Amino acid sequence: MTPDELRTHLQTAIEIEWSTIPPYLCARWSIQDGRNELAAECIDDVVMEEMLHLTLACNLLNAIDGEPALTPPHARLPSYPTYLPHSDKAFEVSLRPFSRQALETFRSIERPAPGHAAPEPNRWHTIAQFYAALRDAINELGPEIFTGKRDRQIDSSYYYGGGGEAFPVVDVTTANLALEIIVDEGEGIHHSIWDGDDELLGESRELAHYFRFDELYRGRQYVEGDTPASGPTGPPLLVDYSCVQPMRPNPKAADHPEGSELRALTQECDRTYSTLLTQLQSAFNGRPEQLVTSVQTMLELRYQAIALMQVPVGDGQTAGPAFEWRPSRDAV
Amino acid sequence: MPDYDVAIVGAGPVGAILAGQLAQAGARVLVLEAGVAAGRTWPEYQASVEQYQAAGIKVPNTPYYSTQEAPSPNVLDIRKLTPGTLPADTGYFVQDGPLPFGTDYLRSLGGTMMHWLGTCLRMVPADFEIASRYRQGTDWPIGYEELIPYYAAAELELGVSANVEDQAYLGIEFPADYVFPMRRIPLSYLDQVVAKAVDGRTVTLDGAHHQLQVTSTPQARNSMPNPSYNGGEGYQPVGAYGAPHEGLRCEGNSSCIPICPVQAKYNPLKSWGRIEALKAAGELKGDVEMRTQCVVSRVIHSGKGPIEALEYIAYDEGQTPDPPERITASIYVLACNSIENAKLMLASDVPNGNDLIGRNLMDHPYVLAWGLMPESVGAYRGPSSTAGIEILRDGGFRSQRAAFRMEVRGWGWDFATNSPYSDVEALVGDGLFGRELRERLAERVSRQFAFGFLFEQLPRATNRVYVDDSYLDPLGIPRPRFQYDIDDYTRAGMASARQLWTQLFAHLGASDNTSYSEADPGYITYRGEPYLYIGAGHNVGTHLMGNDAAKSVVDSYQRCWEHENLYLAGCGSFPTIATSNPSLTMAALAFRTSGEMKRDLGLQ
Repeated sequence: MTPDELRTHLQTAIEIEWSTIPPYLCARWSIQDGRNELAAECIDDVVMEEMLHLTLACNLLNAIDGEPALTPPHARLPSYPTYLPHSDKAFEVSLRPFSRQALETFRSIERPAPGHAAPEPNRWHTIAQFYAALRDAINELGPEIFTGKRDRQIDSSYYYGGGGEAFPVVDVTTANLALEIIVDEGEGIHHSIWDGDDELLGESRELAHYFRFDELYRGRQYVEGDTPASGPTGPPLLVDYSCVQPMRPNPKAADHPEGSELRALTQECDRTYSTLLTQLQSAFNGRPEQLVTSVQTMLELRYQAIALMQVPVGDGQTAGPAFEWRPSRDAV
Repeated sequence: MPDYDVAIVGAGPVGAILAGQLAQAGARVLVLEAGVAAGRTWPEYQASVEQYQAAGIKVPNTPYYSTQEAPSPNVLDIRKLTPGTLPADTGYFVQDGPLPFGTDYLRSLGGTMMHWLGTCLRMVPADFEIASRYRQGTDWPIGYEELIPYYAAAELELGVSANVEDQAYLGIEFPADYVFPMRRIPLSYLDQVVAKAVDGRTVTLDGAHHQLQVTSTPQARNSMPNPSYNGGEGYQPVGAYGAPHEGLRCEGNSSCIPICPVQAKYNPLKSWGRIEALKAAGELKGDVEMRTQCVVSRVIHSGKGPIEALEYIAYDEGQTPDPPERITASIYVLACNSIENAKLMLASDVPNGNDLIGRNLMDHPYVLAWGLMPESVGAYRGPSSTAGIEILRDGGFRSQRAAFRMEVRGWGWDFATNSPYSDVEALVGDGLFGRELRERLAERVSRQFAFGFLFEQLPRATNRVYVDDSYLDPLGIPRPRFQYDIDDYTRAGMASARQLWTQLFAHLGASDNTSYSEADPGYITYRGEPYLYIGAGHNVGTHLMGNDAAKSVVDSYQRCWEHENLYLAGCGSFPTIATSNPSLTMAALAFRTSGEMKRDLGLQ
């Protein structure tokens, strides 16, 4: 792999990480206040860690003098339903309310690589295969490629709320650590059900994402001693799929008649989403302080999305956020 | 062989710091807490949040639970005192007056710091020597220099957000390479509006000129960690007890007092959690045992000399309590706040030769001035106060009148008028509803702001807490009884503050809506002008420290002069209150005291 190819793949990594976030957010925001708290907490943690992975992927790309893109034309943004970028198209990802179907997708996203899966930057089956290919490339290319400017790196000041912390990627060691965190938080460490946060970050050990979704999907908790093969053997975990706003899958502004209030609200939500991407783009390209501003936009996005999910659109379903690129005239 | 190395009364911040330091050095520590163990899990803590949200009238103790057996004072019980009908004994306190002691505290796991604001100002060097400098009050037995490393320890324990360059004023100095664990909390929009109008401007107070500056307030509230902390080690913000991913940054929930819903603000549960984590990991050299719902009823002694035991009553709520039991320790510590410490000493008839225990009670009488800005200043976004005017905390004027600090308050007219609830009531009363109600409310409330003033009080023997067997709590323990007044030194400070806010409101183009009702318990006057004070919750100075056993209760390590194995720890040891919110200095003193206790026990 050449350095340029590595940069291209890291841009894909950014797009993969970003593509997972709207589906998680839709499921999370569809959960009614105070209901299914374990599920809500699980998705909260996962989304925040996906944001860490996104941040670390940007740090990696910046470390080798690339320019992370989160907005068109340089970024290819997801349009749901979609396959994850460069995957083997084994599963599609949709925007759905919290449901068994959504959990199935989430399990697919976070599915651990089988022990024998080879590194694979294109047409990967699991995300771990993809990152393994990047790891091999970095180790092969060696220290010379780390020529990026230090002040483009996001440090521990900015990331919070999930497991781990952001750290500057400046050499082969920190690059490997970043890749390891991305993979282990999702799929588990050493083929166990646990993430590596205790070993890698000195934090308390948690179930890896795949197994947290698996618990919800199967309605039973993992306990000490369980393995991927045993499945969860602990006490039942009650999930009530009826306390969920029944958002129509993969909503679009164009679903609603021209001139309708719903269309305007969906477009407004799209604009907020686009402002967020623009702020993140700027933050990952030398203006980290934009991350602080973006928190407000994230909250705005949540309010708007949840408001859409309260509006019935027939068939017992509701409207929802479309997550389509629609920049506003006054974007930053 | 005593039962424990150290027995600590009170599971608040001082107890947590001492227990943590001593157990890490190898001591076996027992903690006796009168109140309940609440907030030990995330759902349990959320129950407190819900109790607060559901309450119609919200006061500092609203979210927390006090048992009948270990009652807590409640600010709702404070009454206007009327000569001839005294004492007033509604609630837990008994008040002789002439003015009500207007402060509460919380008897529960974590103590009163569960509902503090989080302000972490250091004292200014002059505060330690106001007698030498201004012939007022009394000097401390230690100075600012001596406390510098302990302030740093306290700022780490509590997790303080501030920038050194903001905090180096009035002689406050920091080691050259010092940074706070986290960067300062950003100034609110209101702070910026006030700073723009005020910074560099000169005001005239009592004929003297003062150049003003709005200063960011150091706060024990999670902000962005400073990667340069501890020589480049950095700092990891501490999340909620039982939910470590919650509360890693302040989220602007605007309910710091009485409860931060995510625990971005420090509370002592975090310190207890740290001890538990060490214990669970097998890394605690000694041990900490906590017993809640155990009210210490007597300090057992035979006159002078060492304390012999503590007597305590364990209870289940509403049940007949167990007969009193005794425990023994090499060191006894009373760390249940200045009033409970003094109450327990006096109720136990511990020798009090110089008659100082319970005397020199102080608080920061807190006065609000409120107004309306010409435009929205975004009230109710973030903590109630993130900046203030600090440079009036010291000056030659202290030979004549009290110093004060001023908070810029971002929660509208909150407790000045019970806003925004009172605004809703008034507008609904006008027949408004729906969109119009929302818009009018937003227009009205978002322009509200207030300045809060904290005045120093001098130590006065006549301001005191004492006990009297005719007023007992349900366990038969005397209730705290108060004599309290605010002298002209402090009232003269209020008159200067009035000059300040009048000039500031004019510079801001704001209307002055301040009005005080004679019917309020804290209504006082000075030279014909009215003021309304409330207690700040800073009860200080009932067992003051000093270098002279004849003129103080404890030495600079908070050790009782008359009983070498008894420490009275906490704000009660402050010889003067000065103007800083006392928690940070209280925590710093606890760290210093823990060193002395380790020496007593032969630990390193």
